[in-house]
Amino acid sequence: MKAIEVDTLSFTYKGGPKKALDGIKFEQEQGEMVVLMGHTGAGKSTFSRCLNRLIPHFHKGNYSGEIRILGNSIRDKRVYDLVGQIGLVFQDFESQLFSTNVELEVAFGPENLCLSREEIKRRVDESLQLVRLKGFERREPASLSGGEKQRLAIASILAIKPKIVVMDEPTTDLDPQGKLEIFSVAKILKSEGYTILFIEHETEAILEADKIVIVDRGKVVTEGKPYQILKDVELLENHGIRPPQIAKLLKEINEPTISFNLDEALKVFQKRDWKISDEKYTALLKKEEEQHIGYGKKIIEVKDLEYFYPENIKALDGISLDIQEGEFLAIIGQNGSGKTTLVKHFNGLLKPSKGKVRVAGEDTKRKQVSELGKIVGYVFQNPDHQIFANTVEEEVAFGPGNLGISKENISRFVEEALKEVGLEGYEGCDPFSLTKGERQRVAIASILSARPQVLILDEPTTGLDYRQQKSVMELLKSLNGKGHTIIIITHSLWVVAEYAKRVLVLHQGKIILDGSPRRVFSQEEKLADSFLRLPEIIRLSNRMERTLLSVDEFKYCLER
Amino acid sequence: MFIYLDKDSFLHHLHPVTKIVGLILLFIWAMVFNHPLYLSIIFVIVFFLSLLAKSLANLKKFWILLIILAFFSTLLWSFFLRGPSRLFKLGFIQISKESFLYGLAMGIRIDTMIISGIIFLSSTRTEDFTQGLSSLGLPFPVSFALSLSFRLVPTFAVTSSTIIQAQKSRGLDLESGRLLKRIRKHIPLFVPILIHAIRNTDLLAMALESKGFGFKKKRTYYLQFRSTWKDWLSIAILAGLIGFSFYIRLNGYGMIFHRI
Repeated sequence: MKAIEVDTLSFTYKGGPKKALDGIKFEQEQGEMVVLMGHTGAGKSTFSRCLNRLIPHFHKGNYSGEIRILGNSIRDKRVYDLVGQIGLVFQDFESQLFSTNVELEVAFGPENLCLSREEIKRRVDESLQLVRLKGFERREPASLSGGEKQRLAIASILAIKPKIVVMDEPTTDLDPQGKLEIFSVAKILKSEGYTILFIEHETEAILEADKIVIVDRGKVVTEGKPYQILKDVELLENHGIRPPQIAKLLKEINEPTISFNLDEALKVFQKRDWKISDEKYTALLKKEEEQHIGYGKKIIEVKDLEYFYPENIKALDGISLDIQEGEFLAIIGQNGSGKTTLVKHFNGLLKPSKGKVRVAGEDTKRKQVSELGKIVGYVFQNPDHQIFANTVEEEVAFGPGNLGISKENISRFVEEALKEVGLEGYEGCDPFSLTKGERQRVAIASILSARPQVLILDEPTTGLDYRQQKSVMELLKSLNGKGHTIIIITHSLWVVAEYAKRVLVLHQGKIILDGSPRRVFSQEEKLADSFLRLPEIIRLSNRMERTLLSVDEFKYCLER
Repeated sequence: MFIYLDKDSFLHHLHPVTKIVGLILLFIWAMVFNHPLYLSIIFVIVFFLSLLAKSLANLKKFWILLIILAFFSTLLWSFFLRGPSRLFKLGFIQISKESFLYGLAMGIRIDTMIISGIIFLSSTRTEDFTQGLSSLGLPFPVSFALSLSFRLVPTFAVTSSTIIQAQKSRGLDLESGRLLKRIRKHIPLFVPILIHAIRNTDLLAMALESKGFGFKKKRTYYLQFRSTWKDWLSIAILAGLIGFSFYIRLNGYGMIFHRI
């Protein structure tokens, strides 16, 4: 018997412009783990919500087609009727958790099913065991790390004992360690015989899968074994998925061996006697050193900065650093290492508890956020935390208006900012009708329009697919090329490797590494202590005693 | 972030219904008198309760708010009420002994009520609260929604503070300007907060439905509460104290102004 059968399912949201699902066909065997991939907006979440009847009961719209879960049609079922068969885990774990402690959170589902207390207790224990949260029973969900919260959300579904678990981008909002935790939970569930449907962007998740299905515009484009799909670099890139770097490298140098594995790639290189050219590597290093010549004066100076949160929690512990005009700085580190706290000092949102922060030579303690806003622009992580206006133009004009820029200049700045982010012609659009990637651009434009020298971006690529991530980063690169100082906080190390000129690693409020990505990323073990796992291509080059940051660099330096 | 303190105290072990009834009784008690001396006695008893509930840590978080409320209450009532024994007069502003004492009493009353609320939330989980409301006869979805709203306030506060910071970074200045202009300036805050709230509620509703919430009339409560003699005794003591307070008030004690 098949776990899930979907036959020509179509759905259009009420008032939606086009079909979110367009005659999709899909099958999954019991006990299988299937990974569903594709662009944001391809219809993946819509698909998952059809499976437990949230669509069409919760989200209304035009629905047609047939779904069978464990052999039975769900045409006449309500969400509640399917609770014991199929469980849904959502991306946003914060809003799924509402109980006072971990134990009660997990007990909530079984309570609704009217089970006996003894049975509930048994299920709570089992589920917490499966996600490795035993011993956390009395902890408050808010006090958990992101990975732990998402594992808790998964446990709260497992307690209902569904046969099928659907996870809709459970790792998108997590740091690298959290992502790994979820992948290992998925592995455990699979070995326990659960049927798993995993919607995911990360390629790490894929290798464990039995089948990969790629969706685009509400239809299945292709499906196959992980091996088959992952080797098709072009297919992946066309559908917003970052291809595994090693596979990409081998393909681009026309090596017939197909592999995603570091050791296998090394073996190929040894067999063929390929090496990294010293001459070309030195040329790379030389070019990197010359970068500094282009930098201007010091724009941000931090000296012995300490910051305490209420109740004397030390968030920053003796930070000293200088940032020059024209730098492209990436700040990395685990959640809670102090990254956001640090950059909030750069535009005066936070003032030092001890030590000094100077922006353009002025002590931030003597300046208002609104004054510093002319020099340092800050794009917050979630564009929806700042968008409020009726039109894109009004939104982008808000910042310069506040900062007292003259009317004629505002309209010019707005026009140029929109051009810069590639949103010309969107002036009259309602920002809320745009995609997440476009809203991210509106947010950047709305900061850019005040013409700050420095641009800070907190996790600019989170929640975007690969294509959108690349285009945001290319935008930042071009702004940097025009003289803007760029500071980003990120968890994406490939972004750092390919775009940043300098990287700062924070750990427990201290800077533990500071230098060019090449220098910092050569220290693989030290990074691993902070749970920072380097992209495959860098690890491969490190094994060859050089540090190469991208597939392109590798290709350039490889002596064949 | 959240007010509930996971401790082991006399109040933590009371039946949630006892605590809900107790809270209402404390509110009533604070309404009986309007004399600062009498209210101070109630205040001291409530403060003692907070020690009993081991919730002093939470009171510390709110003490500035408590002082500000008491101060402004005293100040405003002093100006707005007129009493027979005038203490001070400057133009149309005058303060009497009675208005001052009444203001002080109102300050103590507000603080007593707030502290009672803090004690309740410090010693009662949202789940206990839900269950308490249910056993008082409210349907489960209603009890759940009521207690959940308390739970969501802090989460909401965090998002709001992020949104305020994001807009301040864009040069939004909320402090200057006339009242009307200042209200208009809050639009960039209200819109994202509202949208966030709607989106979150939507997600939460989906998560709840996916866990079988609200379909059956009956449900199991994982937590088990039994009322003991402690519950009955607590309510009896409180009721007794309030009864006695009414008695002395009806005999003309504990009042500054009799009409209010």
